[in-house]
Amino acid sequence: MKGKFKVYSGSWFQGFLILLSGSLILLFCLVFTSLVLWPDTHALIRALTSEEILFSIQLSLITSLISTIFCAVIALPVAYALSRYHFPTSGFMGMVISLPLSLPPLVAGIALLIFFGPSFFGNILRFIGIDIVYTTTAIVIAQFFVNVPYLIRVMRSAFDSVPPRYEHVARTLGASESAVFLQVSLPMSHQALLAGLTITWSKAMGEFGAVLMLAGATKMKTETLPIALYLNISTGDLDLAIASATILMAISVGTLLVFEHWFGVKRKV
Amino acid sequence: MGLSKTLGDFHLRNVTLTIDDSEYFIILGPSGAGKSLLLETIAGIYSPDSGKIILDGTDITDRPARLRHIGMVYQDYMLFPYLNIEKNIGFGLRQLRHPSHDIRKATEGIASLLGITHLLSRRPDTLSGGEQQRVAIARALVIKPRILLLDEPLSALDAITHKKMRNELARIPMLTGVSVIHITHHAEDLISLGHRTAVMDNGAIVQIGSPDEIFQNPKTPFVAAFTGMENLFSGIAMDSHEGKVIRIGQVKIHVITPYTGPVQCGIRPDALIFSREPLKSSARNVLMATVTKIRRMGSIAWVVIDCGIFLTGVLTIQSLYELRIDEGDTIFIAFKASAVMVFPEETQKK
Repeated sequence: MKGKFKVYSGSWFQGFLILLSGSLILLFCLVFTSLVLWPDTHALIRALTSEEILFSIQLSLITSLISTIFCAVIALPVAYALSRYHFPTSGFMGMVISLPLSLPPLVAGIALLIFFGPSFFGNILRFIGIDIVYTTTAIVIAQFFVNVPYLIRVMRSAFDSVPPRYEHVARTLGASESAVFLQVSLPMSHQALLAGLTITWSKAMGEFGAVLMLAGATKMKTETLPIALYLNISTGDLDLAIASATILMAISVGTLLVFEHWFGVKRKV
Repeated sequence: MGLSKTLGDFHLRNVTLTIDDSEYFIILGPSGAGKSLLLETIAGIYSPDSGKIILDGTDITDRPARLRHIGMVYQDYMLFPYLNIEKNIGFGLRQLRHPSHDIRKATEGIASLLGITHLLSRRPDTLSGGEQQRVAIARALVIKPRILLLDEPLSALDAITHKKMRNELARIPMLTGVSVIHITHHAEDLISLGHRTAVMDNGAIVQIGSPDEIFQNPKTPFVAAFTGMENLFSGIAMDSHEGKVIRIGQVKIHVITPYTGPVQCGIRPDALIFSREPLKSSARNVLMATVTKIRRMGSIAWVVIDCGIFLTGVLTIQSLYELRIDEGDTIFIAFKASAVMVFPEETQKK
């Protein structure tokens, strides 16, 4: 009797949870497909091939690739240092580096705006002829600033999980410190690196808040895909806004698939 | 070559060792005795807090690991999973920027020496434990190190591979001229391998000697227990009209020892002679005993007897049948006074 009761109540409970999950997923699908299906197909294709959207795609691709490369160049050595070396301020440094992660991008953006704008540093830059604010360079800087902590985090945990004995063996075999990093630690974490770079790039493509603050929203100048979405929804041009949103969604889905492919089983990050 | 080393660390307390050319040296000790740390310090992974490491008369204490030419093989091999076997073995020579055809030749040479030529294009994760072990040794030997450090090289292998590998390891100094330092927590590794052995406990060297010395003449109860002396007792040594005796509870046994007062004593299982009749022999200690347990393991049997104290002896299965000994039987055991190892009480560490 007891066993029967258990199965009975278990199946109700299970059924309820599965139903709840199913409803949520159905809601997700409805929301996203309605976005894509809202404009008629011709209008969507016209919007996707419009000059403005093509410009945004190009600008987003270029800025996000550059900022992702910068993120990799900086994040790899920093993550390695934080993972391998224990110096007096390493704990504190790890915390400061993670700070932009928990900050809303808008706040990071306005801090960057003040820093490169009216602050002492910004004045020095303008004095030697460099003005960052409201330029395409600003887009790259904003993307980099928001994303580099993320990549550092991913790579740091990847380096942490490489058993140090691999590096010890390499050292006894004559590898210098840089050779150990390049020939042992890095190849041992290549999966995390590929996954991390993919996500970093996709986050850069979609970065809005920090870019809006530092680079502004100037049509056909600093108009990345999210900015295009924002500008066109403000002016009521729904087709263009949805075109931009559709591309961003496709990128997210693609990234998710890539991420699951490389990282699916472990799900560490 | 002389390698001596004294370092005051949390785990290593004044360790001094000298390893000879082409010597197979074994460091024996329980887990956590600081053996791995000692190896990694010799290899240059960690630097000692104090003390020196001398290689061929040169102080290498501050020399970085990559310039020491000391090869290291870990228990779990640590083959680079993203490189095939050939690339794994060639790793060290690539660091030294040897031309690629030299690397190829050296790799093939060492691979044929260790019988792994057929594995060169494979990936590490497709190899068995024994094969991975050989690759790890090849990778360390190909840079022609002065010393090869082996961290528990036999522990992860199955019984048959274990035996085979043990014989192959013993050949390494002869084949290559390299000195080997092998750490293990299995006393039986000493039997067919070591030229000399150091026993480590709690970060310190307790005894250094040939495997025979260690087995036959352990200096402390710890070494005795660790090399398989089953019967260890605390007792009081005193003089009597028949010579020195040790009183353990109600039992009195004859011994040969300079010590009096509280002592520890040990009797090897193989020193016990079993018989069904009280035997007349030169053995000074003859005791009546009850067989409490018989444990058969392969061709031998461990026999636990109660003669006022519990003793463990060992018999071949054959003699077990010939003597017709069974659990619960009353029998006689004998052992020589000289077979009892006596240690003064204070040398025992907790």
